[in-house]
Amino acid sequence: MNYVEWLRVRNLLRVVAIILTILVVLAVVLRVSVSRYMSPEAWVAHLALDPGTKVTRTTLPDGTKRIVFDDPDDSTHVVVDDHGYAGKHIVVTEPTSRAQKEHSDVSVGSVRVFESRNGATTTTVIDTNGAVPMIYYMALADIVALIVATILAAPLAREVDGHLEIALTKPCSRVRYALGVILADAAGIIAASVITVIAFYFCQLLFESARLDFSGINANAIAMGLILPLAWYALLCAATTLLSRSYGAVLGFAWPVAILTGALTLIHADNVVALFVHDVAWVISRFDPLSYVEFASPNATGTYNYTEANFGLRLSIEVLFFVVYGAIAIWRWQRVEA
Amino acid sequence: MSIKISNLRKSYGKIVAVDDFSLEIPGASVFGLLGPNGAGKTTTFKCMLDLARSTSGEILYDGKRLEPATFERVAYVPERSVLYDWMTVEEHVEMSRRAYAKFDPARAFELLAAFNIDRKRRARALSKGMRTAVMVAIAFARNAEILILDEPTSGLDPVNQRHVLSLMINEAAKGNSVIFSSHQIGQVERAAEHIAVMDRGRLVLQGTVDELKADRKIVEGIFPDVSFTLDGIARDLRVARTDRTERIVRVLVTGGAEEIASDLTGAGAMAVRVLDLNLEDIFLYAVSPATATTDIVAKESSS
Repeated sequence: MNYVEWLRVRNLLRVVAIILTILVVLAVVLRVSVSRYMSPEAWVAHLALDPGTKVTRTTLPDGTKRIVFDDPDDSTHVVVDDHGYAGKHIVVTEPTSRAQKEHSDVSVGSVRVFESRNGATTTTVIDTNGAVPMIYYMALADIVALIVATILAAPLAREVDGHLEIALTKPCSRVRYALGVILADAAGIIAASVITVIAFYFCQLLFESARLDFSGINANAIAMGLILPLAWYALLCAATTLLSRSYGAVLGFAWPVAILTGALTLIHADNVVALFVHDVAWVISRFDPLSYVEFASPNATGTYNYTEANFGLRLSIEVLFFVVYGAIAIWRWQRVEA
Repeated sequence: MSIKISNLRKSYGKIVAVDDFSLEIPGASVFGLLGPNGAGKTTTFKCMLDLARSTSGEILYDGKRLEPATFERVAYVPERSVLYDWMTVEEHVEMSRRAYAKFDPARAFELLAAFNIDRKRRARALSKGMRTAVMVAIAFARNAEILILDEPTSGLDPVNQRHVLSLMINEAAKGNSVIFSSHQIGQVERAAEHIAVMDRGRLVLQGTVDELKADRKIVEGIFPDVSFTLDGIARDLRVARTDRTERIVRVLVTGGAEEIASDLTGAGAMAVRVLDLNLEDIFLYAVSPATATTDIVAKESSS
């Protein structure tokens, strides 16, 4: 019954797949280009070492290649354990500088840097094969999924634009037709997220054996990452169905309006006008699914400042948006006339 | 399957597109709906299919209101192309196959081949006539009991026009109903058994083509001077219209032409003749009587 919408979704996913394939090809090219720089031996060759630095190479019983740099002049000692594709473990011991903090623990992707100060000596441990938080993948997937959602978000308005005689003479109710269309698009949006995650995972695999972290905050990120583009889609779907004659303008202005509204909620309200603008933008932003998104990010000490209770509320609001905006679109669709 | 339309009214704000329109369309027949531009034909079709909500009135299919399942039995070809530009002809056929249980794709491709349409082409690459042909082919492959065709020959070449008319007649022979509108009255006359004429949203004439043609005549009388009276004739219920131009009077009758001719002779006419009407004449009489009288008499005189 919704064959046309499935075709639209298929065609769009084909474009997404082509773009992601190009990205993967570029990653392959990059991997081949940088391969000779990836081994510690290559680093050593390119390092401008102090003349007194002693470099020792050994191979451990498990096959790990160890390189030890010892610079007595600077009291610096570096041990690099190269596990090949399984990553590297680097321990740097050096004199403490004034700027260094007591401790820090920062993770970016699969790289974790842990620094600890022990009197006059600071030890920095770098591991390059940590589990990659899914939150990174979902952030990337959501960029793609939100673009896909924006492109797909006028399914009913597109039918109003010259195809009602086909859409409304099918042997199914208008509600069922609209639900089918929305479900087809929702499936397309989720599929776009999934293939984006797969593509980026593949890109990562080109460089290291990537492990994924689905635990804790990452599970929340997956849930939010899937429902956010659907809620955004439903908002635009309702708007384009209500303003079906100018659905192109609705889609075109959706992002600028969302970004502007979001930005205005951040202005510092130090006078009446600014306060008014801020408050108006804040009220408007309450209807925007994007304003409820808060992808967790590590704070200065490397821990995530994101509470479970807050997340549940935000996720519920996103689900509510999807249902309510979807219902508005269907309600309007029921009243459409050719 | 028969259709009964009762007191249909559709207005857009203050504009009344269809007004108090009642009609019964019998099953297993070809029904022609005629009318000048803006008469309300397309709006009537849209109301019949619930594409436009009627302001008042009722439309029943075999005694039941239209419901989604009815569309398994009703096919529609709108007057303008509603094909998806970005889809191929083949994809349109597939769309119909998935939507309608009785759709016959092989029949659709057979008809498309007869219309010389490449199934791989995208709709945007088709001419107006080809788009019409695609919609017609898909509609006739639906195995529907009722086909509602809004100007189904629009843009088609004469060969394909004739082909569409044959398809319509064949459908009626199979026991299905075809309701179509057209501005080409010759086509309607060739294909339709029943016709209805709409003008300014109202039904102004209906019946079988044969009955309408058999009953309707123009009786023309020429009098010796302008001082004649037609009181008795004008009050005759069979007289639909009287046009008087100096010594000449033309009377459109819906029956009893010979008797009216005798009456004109009795009223003092020097010469009287009875003119037959074709469907175009009948149509013109229904929607523009003054134009019709002049045209018919001029045509008859020159022949």
